[in-house]
Amino acid sequence: MRNKQLEQRSRFDLRMLFFYAVVPLFMGLLVLQVLKLQWFEHEHYVLQAEQNRLNIVPTLPVRGEITDVLGRGLAINRIAYHVQLIPERVVNMDETLHALATMLQWSDGKLAHVQRRIEHTRPDRPVLLDDKLQWEQVSPLAARLHHLPGVDVESGRYREYPYGGLASHMVGYLSLARKDDLDAGYFPSEFVGRTGAEKAFEQVLHGRPGYQQEEVDAVGRRVAVLKRSPSKMGQTLQLALDIDVQKAASQALGDRTGAVVVMDVHSGGIIALLSQPGYDTNRFITGLESDQWQAWLNDPEKPLLNRAMQAAYPPASTFKLVTGLAGLEQGARLAGGSTICPGYVELADRKLRCWKHTGHGTISLHRALVESCDVYFYQLGDQLGMAAISDAAQAWGFGEKTGIALSPESRGSVPSQSPYMMSAVKNSASKRKKWFRGETMITAIGQGTLTATPLQVARLAAAIANGGQVLRPQLLANAQAEVMHRVDVSEEHLNIIRKGMRSVVSDPHGTAHRALADAPWQMAGKTGTAQVIKMAQDKKNIISQDQLDKEHRDHAWFMGYAPYVNPKIAIAVFVEHGGHGGSAAAPVAAAVIRAMASKYDVVDATVKP
Amino acid sequence: MRVLKSLDWVLLASICSLAVLGMVTLYAAVHQGNPDLWQKQGIFWGAGFLVFGALCFVPLRLLGLVCWPMYGMALLLLLLVPLIGDVHMGARRWLDLGVMNLQPSEIMKWALMFMLANWFATREARGWVEILAPVLLTVLPAALIIMQPDLGTTLVLLFAATALIIAAGLPWRLLGIAVVAGLASLPLLWHFMHDYQKQRVLTLLDPQSDPLGAGYHVIQSTIAIGSGGLLGKGFLHGTQARLHFLPEQHTDFIFSVLAEEGGFIAVALLLSFYALLIFRILWIGHRAHSRFGSLLCIGIAAMFILYITVNIGMVSGIFPVVGLPLPFISYGGSALVTMLGATGLVMRVAIESRGQIPWQRPGSPLA
Repeated sequence: MRNKQLEQRSRFDLRMLFFYAVVPLFMGLLVLQVLKLQWFEHEHYVLQAEQNRLNIVPTLPVRGEITDVLGRGLAINRIAYHVQLIPERVVNMDETLHALATMLQWSDGKLAHVQRRIEHTRPDRPVLLDDKLQWEQVSPLAARLHHLPGVDVESGRYREYPYGGLASHMVGYLSLARKDDLDAGYFPSEFVGRTGAEKAFEQVLHGRPGYQQEEVDAVGRRVAVLKRSPSKMGQTLQLALDIDVQKAASQALGDRTGAVVVMDVHSGGIIALLSQPGYDTNRFITGLESDQWQAWLNDPEKPLLNRAMQAAYPPASTFKLVTGLAGLEQGARLAGGSTICPGYVELADRKLRCWKHTGHGTISLHRALVESCDVYFYQLGDQLGMAAISDAAQAWGFGEKTGIALSPESRGSVPSQSPYMMSAVKNSASKRKKWFRGETMITAIGQGTLTATPLQVARLAAAIANGGQVLRPQLLANAQAEVMHRVDVSEEHLNIIRKGMRSVVSDPHGTAHRALADAPWQMAGKTGTAQVIKMAQDKKNIISQDQLDKEHRDHAWFMGYAPYVNPKIAIAVFVEHGGHGGSAAAPVAAAVIRAMASKYDVVDATVKP
Repeated sequence: MRVLKSLDWVLLASICSLAVLGMVTLYAAVHQGNPDLWQKQGIFWGAGFLVFGALCFVPLRLLGLVCWPMYGMALLLLLLVPLIGDVHMGARRWLDLGVMNLQPSEIMKWALMFMLANWFATREARGWVEILAPVLLTVLPAALIIMQPDLGTTLVLLFAATALIIAAGLPWRLLGIAVVAGLASLPLLWHFMHDYQKQRVLTLLDPQSDPLGAGYHVIQSTIAIGSGGLLGKGFLHGTQARLHFLPEQHTDFIFSVLAEEGGFIAVALLLSFYALLIFRILWIGHRAHSRFGSLLCIGIAAMFILYITVNIGMVSGIFPVVGLPLPFISYGGSALVTMLGATGLVMRVAIESRGQIPWQRPGSPLA
């Protein structure tokens, strides 16, 4: 018995030793694990804790504004207010939403939409309820925010285009950053310039985003701002554009489609660049409804097309200036003499007609310009040959991009006899076509496959005025002139052409006399009437007679510069299916001159005597 | 007066140290958001010490008397739970008594400990009947509790019972067989586990597999512990705690607050307080005047070691998430009062053994 008790006790003592030994094992396991975390993996977890805690939030830059030459806003930033709500902080959702609906005048549909959105989003994240509100709309709400926990009114900026439709192609528009923009470093809520100056100067307008290092809690709420590097506002740009001139051109065009380019002959500054019709760029800001976009795409008047530089048309008689100059420079016999215009030229089995079927009689270069005689230039072109004509066209800036900052830009086309240049001719049928004399003669009067943009034509006028400097068109005010190339042409020959252009306006027989003789500035110019060659035989059945008539009508051109002495501006006017250049296009130029003359002194410091 | 004289000051000192450390840690955990909880916990400490003090006066013999009716009542209540119990967070554990919610499994924990200590007070675990009877007494309530489901309490029950049976002289051979059989039955256990429990085990194996779901707790608490480093981020300067990345930071996950702000130094301090407490309880048990007192101390020590290991192991990513509080540190009145009550029982053992010879030593009462 005694032994058994002792055995029991000693067994218990052993078991106690076992427990004394086991407890440190348990404790040791814990110590090892904690040491592993706190010592060996400490740095890893410090990093994780920092990542948890810190949030780098970009502060978006304010976009630079765009103004015209007199500082009037073309693209400006407006303050607007938006209302948002964090569902989990709202005490009574139904009451809150109904109060908001009353104050913000929501329709029942809008209210239901908002309710659905709140149900389908995370309760700890803000839900945008209404945006682009003016202060008058949100002020009653702002005053009562403390009664509505979870509701917040915040201000933000949006882009406004005060001259939306008038300067749409020039200024352009923005839209939200897309996938490729994000790859390029934009933030998802940022806007990016898509067309016009907004696109061309995206780099400088955008500004530099800043960053804010924030401490956030577990649900992502900001607790404190730790570091701040402010954003830098984009540069405000002053364009050479004068919105008054643009407006005058637009009003003169009226509801006709067409384009007007006004360019400083010395700097290349674009004073007006109009393509009519335009489109309201303000519609893009909140995200364009796709049916509006479709409507613009399908509109037969093509409002999205920038006719001033994205479309090329036969320059028609305005090109006679180039042919004439080439004739003078090449020393062509006819350029110094005269010919007889019977109203047509006979060429093998074809007859090429002059616009004046009765003929101009005996006619020299000067008169041929003034009265726009076709026969004279058929013959001059015949003497020069296609190569000389296309060389001259290229020298004066046809067939190449003008280098304007806007894009995309058409280069137009210049026909050529050489197989090398043939590949530039887009029309594959004409590629293999042999260049007959007739083609050369038609090209000499600016018809056929020769095409040019109104911007190129304006640049030609500027180059004739400034002594042969083909300039890069400049969008910004006070931009340095950039000569793309200087045409090797004598001042004497230029003066012959200039005099001819002057007489187009001043001579009672001149084609632009009626429209421009009384203009406040003395103008030198040239009209053009481009035959619309496409005969829409297949369209006859589906379009009305009225429209068919319009499609048949010729394109009207006018180009020139003013004042005649000490030139300041060059103008190109293109009226699609406008009819005759003298009657349809020249009056638009007159309106531009009047607008210019009403505000600029001719003896301007920028104008060299 | 005799009670006061025979108090075990080491045990009391370990409790008081934990009280201070616990209140300081809790302050860091709740000072932002729920500062009232800190005051409430202070009141719970007061209540707990009252219970502690009261139990110092309860003769151990009494526990041997009440253990049978107490066990029977607890078993009855456990059977009632599936029928009329309240469901909280997916588990049916509570009985609504009108004035308070009762968790029968808590009563069972103590009833079983008294039962086993009483059973082995006069016999050793060396025969079939001597072993099978307490195993049955344990398995029956354990099965009922795991079905609630309450894995934490079941683990406490099984762990304390095992420790008691080992202390009562269970042959090592049988223990080996039991361990092997237990490991072999793990797949069976897996089969019976609830989906959320399975998920917890899976999450433990790879917390990143579900970083915002079940893994979130463990990821955030390990970040807190690890980023605390050896010296800690400083009192009230833990970013994980302050910015509410830590889930349940004042209850089950409070260890991560302590480890983040106090670093390894605080962890070492806490663990040494625990070591002091547990070794003292074992030592009191070792030297107890009665075999009942010895076994009771061992059961309570086992309970503490399990709570501590499971809680810290869970928070630091060794074990799956099992909802057991960190003794004396986690916020919560009933757990704290229970822990202090248990310590009070140990204190009673110490008091009754003061100046006495341990049982079955030559000259001891049972010798």
